Amino acid sequence: MTSIENHDDEILDAARRALGGGSGTDALCALGFWELLPDLGDAKVRAAVFALFRAQGRELASSAALGALAAQPFLEAAGAAPGGFALTFTRRSARRGLVTVVAGDVSGMQLLVDRPGAGAWLVDAGRAALAPIAIPGRLTLCEVELAPGAEQRFLAEDDACRARARSAFLGRIALADEILGAAEGALALAIEHAGAREQFGEPIGRFQAVRHLLAWAATDCTAIASAASEAVALDAAAPPRYDEIVKALAGRNGRRCCERALQVLGAIGFTADHDHHHFHGRVLALDALLGSSATQTRELGAWLRTTRTDPRLPSSMLLNRAIV
Amino acid sequence: MTPPASSEPLVEPPADLGAFAAGLDAWLADPPAAVQAAARPIACYEQRVAAMSRLMEALYAAGWGRYGWPAWAGGLGGTVLHRAAMWEALARHGVPGMALFEHLEILAPTLIALASREFVAVALPEFLRGRELWAQGFSEPEAGSDLASLRTRAVISGDDYRITGRKIWTSWARYARWCLVLARTGTREARHKGLTAFVVDLRSPGVEVRAIEQANGTDELAEVSFDEVFVPSDRIIGGLGGGWPVAMHILSCERGTFAWFRHCFLYPHLLCALDRGSAGSDDALGSTLLDLASISATSHAALRAHAAERPLGPRAAFTKLLLCAGEQSVNDWIFANDGDLALGAPDEHAAVLRQDYLFSRIVTVYGGSQQMQLETIAKQILRLP
Repeated sequence: MTSIENHDDEILDAARRALGGGSGTDALCALGFWELLPDLGDAKVRAAVFALFRAQGRELASSAALGALAAQPFLEAAGAAPGGFALTFTRRSARRGLVTVVAGDVSGMQLLVDRPGAGAWLVDAGRAALAPIAIPGRLTLCEVELAPGAEQRFLAEDDACRARARSAFLGRIALADEILGAAEGALALAIEHAGAREQFGEPIGRFQAVRHLLAWAATDCTAIASAASEAVALDAAAPPRYDEIVKALAGRNGRRCCERALQVLGAIGFTADHDHHHFHGRVLALDALLGSSATQTRELGAWLRTTRTDPRLPSSMLLNRAIV
Repeated sequence: MTPPASSEPLVEPPADLGAFAAGLDAWLADPPAAVQAAARPIACYEQRVAAMSRLMEALYAAGWGRYGWPAWAGGLGGTVLHRAAMWEALARHGVPGMALFEHLEILAPTLIALASREFVAVALPEFLRGRELWAQGFSEPEAGSDLASLRTRAVISGDDYRITGRKIWTSWARYARWCLVLARTGTREARHKGLTAFVVDLRSPGVEVRAIEQANGTDELAEVSFDEVFVPSDRIIGGLGGGWPVAMHILSCERGTFAWFRHCFLYPHLLCALDRGSAGSDDALGSTLLDLASISATSHAALRAHAAERPLGPRAAFTKLLLCAGEQSVNDWIFANDGDLALGAPDEHAAVLRQDYLFSRIVTVYGGSQQMQLETIAKQILRLP
């Protein structure tokens, strides 16, 4: 609905069917997620992996896929096989300083903790205290409390440093895709409502004010879908800070889409019974990981102004992208 | 790579676009006089048109301006991607916009797809080398967003036609030799099914072109009246009564792939203004960067779809909306950080910046208003009731 091209619909539909059924852990196995991870150099594999995140947002499913994907560059640096590892994410809380979180059901997995300047560390999930964060979004998200001495060094700083940027790139694009899926979910609810809800004797979807709100929301989603797909296709060849651009765009547009959907839904959309707040809550939560859109938008502006770096996709590379 | 010195058409275009772009960059590294002249800010529209025409002549002579067009139409082969790479490179080398050669990307793909080969083989090379330009006669005083209600009539006269009526907001008509006119050949009740597309020679007796001075000081728009203007029947494009699909083909280009071409010039426009910004403007600048990235990604998808002959159809409305939003935010940022622009034009560069800012206020009007794009999405994509 909000992709400019249609070619990825099949993969997306398959991922939605798998994730819509029940446990995220089972869905990852069914989709062959773990087997795909070592082959991220292949554009088709990447397209399949990232479609899974969009489907996860759309279905309000939860899995350990985000941490597993972001752990992959660290595992490659260590020569370790994929599977069973999840990267944790650290953010700065205005009240509590640094807070570490992990996404999805990570029971039985090894948690990877990246400490810029001090290498990457490993801890058995069973030896960490996991406190679920209670937010809407049907999102399994836990704060991680690490017991002193429970960690062991996984990578020295030099090696971790090389994996870090790649990990952030993969994590941000995955988050952008999941935000997209959740925003599309909110939009789908609003479109359905606009066709069913009648006022003044006709469906509210016949009123231009409502139609235009929804069309803008779809436009915002299309922009995320195209930029995320560009990042997936270009991968390491993407221009500087493209992952941050795509993630900030997803956060900004994803929030805007949910707000427009809410306006169309009216008060019913603001109830705990209605699913809108799950999609909206998920967008807000995912936007807060790996740099929020508010912070990143400002930082990207400062970066552009002070460094005058050309942020464009280099045309030769862009135009050489395979026509799929 | 070096383009051929003679005008011998290549059978195969350079498949590797990287090599094409690198060759073009090498040519532009020591820019010919015509490129340098077109890269200077020129507030007077007539002078800008003259500089752009000389640029096209130079690009044609060197071969670069012929890539992306079929050999039978005077090109050297290749796809829209070659054209996209060429204009992107020109933007990087200081050319501020395509001006009236925007119509190359809006009209020429439709001419190639739907007009007679004999005519295109003669007319397109003259367009490519900047000698005989094109206008598009769609809107009328009484037919704007409701294009299908247009009244200009084409009446059969022997084997040929006579066109009578008025077109308005006809971009670049005063500089053009040819105008693609949408005229009614059926009844008014038939609406869009009663329309036919004609190529009209604007030098014909009975044509009157009156320039319209715009609020930003340029005069690229015009009103064109037709008084029983003779048009031979072989100048029909898309068949009798087939005008609407022709118009939709053109508008799909204007709303889809065209966003790539126009947005190429927004990046340097913004980059050149960065030294006027301050930390307080970083939020808006970052947001503008996101808007530009949105246009790049969606219009790049549109280019790929076009090159693969899978036109976007109604989805082109997305790129049109994003192009307008991005063009406005770039100009908002420049205007907010340059107080001179509100109070006149101290020099030629400022005069052009002011023209561009004012023009960016109405980009949501031309090529199908923003409200019509939103309706297209609501109806044809979201399938609202």
